[in-house]
Amino acid sequence: MNRTKWEPYVWLLPSILLVSIFVVFPIFIVFKLSFSEISKSGVVGDFIGFQNYVDAVHLPAFGIVMKNTFFWVISVVGISTILGFVIALVLNQKFRGRKIARSILILPWATSLVIQASVWNYIIKYEYGNLNNILLNLGIIKQAINWRSSYQIEFIWACAVGIFVTVPFVTFCILSGLQSIDPALYEAATVDGAGFWSKLKNVTVPLVKPALTVSTVLNIIYVFNSFPIIYTMTKGAPANKTDTMITYLYMLSFYERKKGPASALSVIGFLILCVCASIYMFGVMRKEESV
Amino acid sequence: MTNPELRKKNRSSLIILAIGMLLTLAVASMPLYTYTIGESEQVNGLSLWGFIGSGTSAGMIILLTILLALFSLICGIAGLMGTWEIEYKDLSPRTKTLRGASVASALIAFLLIPAIYMANNYFFNRKRSLFLTNHLEEGSEEYLQSMDRLLFKGSAGEGIESSLRGLDIHLSGMFFLLLFTLMLMIIAAVMIRHGEIKNTLFKMLLYFFVVVVSVVTVYPYFVMLITGLRTNSETLDMFFLHILPTKWMWQNIVDILHRGVARFLLNSLLVAGGATGIAMLCGIPAAYALARMKFVGKKPFLGFVIVSQMFSPVVLLIGISQLMNTLNLNNSLLGLMLINAAFNQAFAIWLLRGTFISISPEMEEASLIDGCGTVSALTKVLAPMAAPGIVTALIFVFINAWNEYTVSTVLISSAELRPITVGITTFSSFNMIEWQYLFSASLLATIPVVILFMSIEKHLTAGLTSGGVKG
Repeated sequence: MNRTKWEPYVWLLPSILLVSIFVVFPIFIVFKLSFSEISKSGVVGDFIGFQNYVDAVHLPAFGIVMKNTFFWVISVVGISTILGFVIALVLNQKFRGRKIARSILILPWATSLVIQASVWNYIIKYEYGNLNNILLNLGIIKQAINWRSSYQIEFIWACAVGIFVTVPFVTFCILSGLQSIDPALYEAATVDGAGFWSKLKNVTVPLVKPALTVSTVLNIIYVFNSFPIIYTMTKGAPANKTDTMITYLYMLSFYERKKGPASALSVIGFLILCVCASIYMFGVMRKEESV
Repeated sequence: MTNPELRKKNRSSLIILAIGMLLTLAVASMPLYTYTIGESEQVNGLSLWGFIGSGTSAGMIILLTILLALFSLICGIAGLMGTWEIEYKDLSPRTKTLRGASVASALIAFLLIPAIYMANNYFFNRKRSLFLTNHLEEGSEEYLQSMDRLLFKGSAGEGIESSLRGLDIHLSGMFFLLLFTLMLMIIAAVMIRHGEIKNTLFKMLLYFFVVVVSVVTVYPYFVMLITGLRTNSETLDMFFLHILPTKWMWQNIVDILHRGVARFLLNSLLVAGGATGIAMLCGIPAAYALARMKFVGKKPFLGFVIVSQMFSPVVLLIGISQLMNTLNLNNSLLGLMLINAAFNQAFAIWLLRGTFISISPEMEEASLIDGCGTVSALTKVLAPMAAPGIVTALIFVFINAWNEYTVSTVLISSAELRPITVGITTFSSFNMIEWQYLFSASLLATIPVVILFMSIEKHLTAGLTSGGVKG
């Protein structure tokens, strides 16, 4: 081999350039902006220390936005993990039509979030929504139901749509874990007289755990970053009461033109993500080594 | 035939069947009961037999249902007599037929019961609201009554209308009872044949679960289809008249193509295609180096790749828009391509590296010894073997870029450069949403990616847990 010492770096160069310009550089910009004074028109001024962070924390909607973000992430990730796990267990069984079921269940993953959110937005309309239409025409309900009577309920609907689009990812993560389990283990457990629950507890769950960890951590990050669902369904109305951090950040910087506090929020969000990312990285790296 | 286990199985299955048939009878006679009550409150004093005899569809279906349920019960009892301890395959053909007839007629009776309600409710609600829309200003009770009489054939009219209103109350409860009984009957029918209660129950539950989940999953797409092909007035129908469009407006698709959607689709194609090209051009060499070469800083670089997968462009939006301003790339498709390529780089590298590692390096080493350069070893030897992995990564990046929304809303300001995900929002403004156009455009945006996604579904599951991905 006449590979020179610097050859690998040449191969890596395009990728490094691309990522450092368009991924790493914006990170620096956001950090820099968060410590600078920014006028309404977007002119970047002097270094002002942590003033932007103080402003961000004192924004009127800060508390409720944080609460919403927390609720959004926990409910969407938690429920979709449980649902995805059950669906994966079912899809791992042998039955007729399994392939079709798998193709159907992956649909929400392949669809743009804006489109999903718009459709659900129409479905649950009170005056002409499709859910009321179908239920009325089938004679299941007598009168149109107001599915979104308050902003809290609207937010819960947004969470439900979030769960709907997140479940396929969890399902397929866990399914790939399930399929790597050696069937001989189940046979051995059956010989030992283990029932369904004890097999689930002693064979399935421990072996699926790595896949479960990966999907959960990734989901926390993706769900935290999710923008189109809430933006399409509620637009944060009324008065940012249904905003999560990401939609609030968008409103703040591109509608209200408060770029300073917005970039401070960005940095806070970014740091939260970094914590999750490092947990994930240690998990994956450890797995790499053990293989 | 003295196997005690078999006897036990047979007996329990027959008991379930008997309970199921009794429930059928109960459910089938429930409308009868309600009609009797509804009738007693009537001034007209219309009798039940008069109602059935008046020739309305609901009356006939009810009569038929009751007869079927009775028939089922009689056949069932006859089919059970003296067969407690005999396995299904040893039964006489006559008994088999009797049992089969019992189960079949019970099932038909079940299916008919909701049909009564659906037929009547749908028809009635629809006509009534049509009337209300047309005669709202003079919508007196008199008009309604005359219409009801007209609908339900003369004197029988009022009786049915008010009894139908009474029936509505029982409806939701009845549906659950129906579902429960139906399941019970099917279980019994299957059990009699196989005698395996646990497996059958399990399979039943499994299919039930899969069907429910699939229906919920497909539902929004169904809505997209039927709403996208409606007329505008029908999408805003306050009276919930029609489940399916009365007129399938294929014209909608032509309309949206004229209103800019053709351009939006082209933009999306350019952005997604360009992003995929750039991501692959940068990603394949990097993945190759990471899979085949040893060098200082390999491990930190891999760690960085994994971490950068976590960085969503959304949280960095402010930085990205600032950067694009300075590079003069905002409001351009090239900028979108580059951003999409960069943020999908991590996954592409991760997936490609996995594919390259799984292929043994011997062939390339042989070609290197033969005097090929590393570049031709990669393109001529490795790439064809790694084609499935490369195609998967390619399609995945394409789909991610196609579905991207947030960065595009911020970076693209002129209307003719919008990709389709942003473009569809032109049909929804604050005071007026053209749902039919919004959804027919969504259909056009969704169908190609769904097909692509299904084509790589198999390969994707393999690469999932090693390199995380999501749209």
